[in-house]
Amino acid sequence: MKKNSSSFSGWKSLIVFTVLLLAWVCGFASRLFAVIRFESIIHEFDPWFNYRATAYMVEHGFYNFLNWFDERAWYPLGRIVGGTVYPGLMITSGGIHYVLHLLNIPVHIRDICVFLAPIFSGLTAISTYLLTKELWSVGAGLFAACFIAIVPGYISRSVAGSYDNEGIAIFALQITYYLWVKSVKTGSVFWASMAALSYFYMVSAWGGYVFIINLIPLHVFTLLLMGRYSSRLFTSYTVFCILGLLFSMQIPFVGFQPIRTSEHMAALGVFALLIAVGALKHLQSVLSKAEFKYFFIVASITAAAVVFLSVVLLTYAGFIAPWSGRFYSLWDTGYAKIHIPIIASVSEHQPTTWFSFFFDLHILVTTFPVGLWYCIKHINDERVFVVWYAISAVYFAGVMVRLMLTLTPVVCMLSGIAFSRLFEIFLKDDENPSGPESDSEPESSPTRTLPEKPTRLRKNKHTDQSKDNEGLGSNVRSFVIVGILATLLMFAVHCTWVTSNAYSSPSIVLASYAQDGSRQILDDFREAYYWLSQNTDNDARVMSWWDYGYQIAGMANRTTLVDNNTWNNSHIALVGKAMSSTEPDAYKIMKSLDVDYVLVIFGGVIGYSGDDINKFLWMVRIAEGEHPKDIRESDYFTDRGEFRVDAEGSPTLLNCLMYKLSYYRFGELQLDFRSPPGFDRTRNVVIGNKNFDLTYLEEAYTTEHWLVRIYRVKNENEFNRPRIPVSLRKIKRTDTFISKKTSRRKKGLIKNRPVVIRGKKSVKS
Amino acid sequence: MKSCWFCLIFLFYLINFGNGQSKTKAQNLGEKVQQLMEMNMKRTVLKFNGPRFKEYVKSAPRNYSVIVMFTALAPARSCSICRHANDEFTIVANSFRYPQTYSNKLFFAMVDFDEGSDVFQMLRLNAAPVFMHFPSKGKPKNADTFDIQRVGFAAESIAKWIAERTDIQIRVFRPTNYSGTLAMLMLFILVAGFLYMRRNNLDFLYNKSLWGVCAVFFCFAMVSGQMWNHIRGPPFVHHSHNGISYFHGSSQGQFVLESYIVIVLNAAIVIGMIMMTDAGLRKGDVRMRQIFAIVGLVIVNVFFSIILSIFRSKAHGYPYSFLFK
Repeated sequence: MKKNSSSFSGWKSLIVFTVLLLAWVCGFASRLFAVIRFESIIHEFDPWFNYRATAYMVEHGFYNFLNWFDERAWYPLGRIVGGTVYPGLMITSGGIHYVLHLLNIPVHIRDICVFLAPIFSGLTAISTYLLTKELWSVGAGLFAACFIAIVPGYISRSVAGSYDNEGIAIFALQITYYLWVKSVKTGSVFWASMAALSYFYMVSAWGGYVFIINLIPLHVFTLLLMGRYSSRLFTSYTVFCILGLLFSMQIPFVGFQPIRTSEHMAALGVFALLIAVGALKHLQSVLSKAEFKYFFIVASITAAAVVFLSVVLLTYAGFIAPWSGRFYSLWDTGYAKIHIPIIASVSEHQPTTWFSFFFDLHILVTTFPVGLWYCIKHINDERVFVVWYAISAVYFAGVMVRLMLTLTPVVCMLSGIAFSRLFEIFLKDDENPSGPESDSEPESSPTRTLPEKPTRLRKNKHTDQSKDNEGLGSNVRSFVIVGILATLLMFAVHCTWVTSNAYSSPSIVLASYAQDGSRQILDDFREAYYWLSQNTDNDARVMSWWDYGYQIAGMANRTTLVDNNTWNNSHIALVGKAMSSTEPDAYKIMKSLDVDYVLVIFGGVIGYSGDDINKFLWMVRIAEGEHPKDIRESDYFTDRGEFRVDAEGSPTLLNCLMYKLSYYRFGELQLDFRSPPGFDRTRNVVIGNKNFDLTYLEEAYTTEHWLVRIYRVKNENEFNRPRIPVSLRKIKRTDTFISKKTSRRKKGLIKNRPVVIRGKKSVKS
Repeated sequence: MKSCWFCLIFLFYLINFGNGQSKTKAQNLGEKVQQLMEMNMKRTVLKFNGPRFKEYVKSAPRNYSVIVMFTALAPARSCSICRHANDEFTIVANSFRYPQTYSNKLFFAMVDFDEGSDVFQMLRLNAAPVFMHFPSKGKPKNADTFDIQRVGFAAESIAKWIAERTDIQIRVFRPTNYSGTLAMLMLFILVAGFLYMRRNNLDFLYNKSLWGVCAVFFCFAMVSGQMWNHIRGPPFVHHSHNGISYFHGSSQGQFVLESYIVIVLNAAIVIGMIMMTDAGLRKGDVRMRQIFAIVGLVIVNVFFSIILSIFRSKAHGYPYSFLFK
């Protein structure tokens, strides 16, 4: 008997281990589409900055990184990098790099950066398993781990090459929640301090740590309301709150925010409340009932008044900053639209349609309410937490597409609970219940491993043997199992399709497909950046729209004026003004900013829709915000309010710098025989202003598909004083130099030599 | 030669006449401003009919700009957008009354179609609302008509346009909207009153099913994009010439009814899952439980296929479907 049970638990842990390993491997593998199709390359925009910062840290050491003043960005202002980044990402990959080099494994830091997010997705799966195991059961944990390994909502932020904070932050989020739940369950100081430590890691990695520091107090507060106060709760929260507060203040970028901003006040308020409740509970055991009642009323009223007044006073006195705009826009959904256009303009900050939910979560979005339902039905201390987690995350995801990322883990957990509960019942043999083994078995279906098929068949056969008892009967059970497995299969297929088609494009290297399915790689961006790095001065200053700032700094290593860290709106507006003014006006601005090269993205040749002409209205709008006298958005529209670049377009648009730089010499280019010369494939029109010449700039480089065009800003003597050929010159310059010195005057003499006469003082003239 | 003389005489005559006229006009101007100021004391937005419009806005000597809203507020015209525009316009006009900006260089006026249809004919307007700026000198140019199509008619954008045209900066002060706070307060009082009434029987607070239903419904609302509806305000359904379409054709948008349908589908799947699970858990008649399990399974699969095919119709090029095309 004993041997039996030990071998059973051995099997169980083997299965758990295998499933988690397979989840890790599958999660890692499905994130590699971009690497296999293209190459091991950093994606998009922000990852390039992270990569550059990491490379700087690896090269110069951690303390130099913290003190790094980057003079290559935001010329002529520069940027203090060390104090304005969350350093967790750089430290993580730098640490891995350091360890590997200690072990004499020479891996380039770029490869670590590219593969960091896929590796961390495995850790996320494991921490999700641990958290779900604490909340429900091992089987639910395994389901949740498999779901989160392949769900598109998380893959979107963690494919190989998307080297961004979110990649490691979700792991930190889940492990913090696991440790918190563990510490609430055990009430041990150890687990609470571990939770605070992982919270520290989260703070160092992502600004989303505010979610944790508000959700955990909410959990504690709800437990207090439900009358579930316990000494375990008291110990774990007080330890977590104080340690977490101190740890989070160690990050330079966060600094004193935890005690000065409203976002963090909930944690401190709940801390005070918990202490008060603890004190009352103690007094209750000491005082008599009547005394206690009197004391309770007086104390609670005074305490509430004191807390409220002090918060109000501190806010007015300026010690506590009110809610920041970005945070406020989560509550009042109309706020951003009116007050912060730059937030409203970013597509990630838009609200979410049901389509996006279904696209990112597929069947999980329809089944997680089931898990939520069962969690509420069988509530206990830690399930209160997951209920709040689900409700708050689903609200935030509804307000902002970007926050789908925080919803995904909890949806996986709750769906895991729903599916594991279902399978636990329907896979169970009626005669000889072997629940845990059977419920961990069908997990492998979402991970799509080959060996699981025979086991499933065997299992079904197994259920066939036990026919006649008071259970549902094997037929019904196998129907249900097959039906549900089919939907899960759809989920796995959907995840792969979405990952492959929507989330695996590096956006630096583009691919186009011909009629016969052959693939053509458009590598214009890197071509242009490489040209910049090889053919321009080391300190040349490149002006471009802010989207490309990080890439220019990262790949071409040249100074940029504005970049994706959009901290200085007026500087961006100045660049926008230069782009939307006429050439002479723009030249003045460019000279005042010391611009040497201008880089524009032009998609008209290949039909790339994300080019600068399509973004141009934002440049005009932002420029208009700062310089309303000079730039007017309405000037760039036709009389009928259309934005068009053909002959009917507004003359202001057809003569502005951005238009000229994009379409310079484009009027001569005939792309194919069916279309006239100067046919823009992105906007499907023939451009309106074809024959123009540039006075103040000259074309320096245009890439193969015209995707990136680089212009050099001329010096003033190059167009003010044009060079006249010698034959046309009125005043001929003689090449032979004739000295006026004759043989008589050969001896040199000093003009105005002071003549000193003896006996006279020299008089100063 | 003769004609030249004629011209000169005519010119002289004109100049003399002009001089005489300018004197009376100067008095006129002072009076006009005085009258306008007096009117403005009573109403922030002056109401003009045809003759008044000609007197104060059209006739020549002016040293003030007028922003005129041409509108049709009569309920018979059933122009709901005019009412919104009127509210916003009034906000701007009221904000202008604050002492740091107020001057007699700018007046706000409105012409209702039913009172001054001749003005509409004169300016060849055939739509309402229209905002026009009549500058103190010269005729209104193209840009003096406010572009509602592009900018909308929020008070802030009207103020911005006025600043562009007249160099008078108006800071918009919106009257604080207490209705939201009041509604919250009412709700709070209602809930508190309800709890007080039921104070002897608060068991329902411990009813997990109630809380569960609330939480699950909140999730449905969010997941079906009600927040998107709230912020973007899409139409209920789309009426086009080939019938009503219930689903938005692209993945970028949705209609209100569409999101309700999604709620129903989601709820059906959840109910099916719960039916199946409970059928397995419950003790009792095996037959009933078997039926429940199968019905639950059918519900889950059918409704999931429906939602998948709706998804497929919105995502162009999505290859997979289940049960139905």
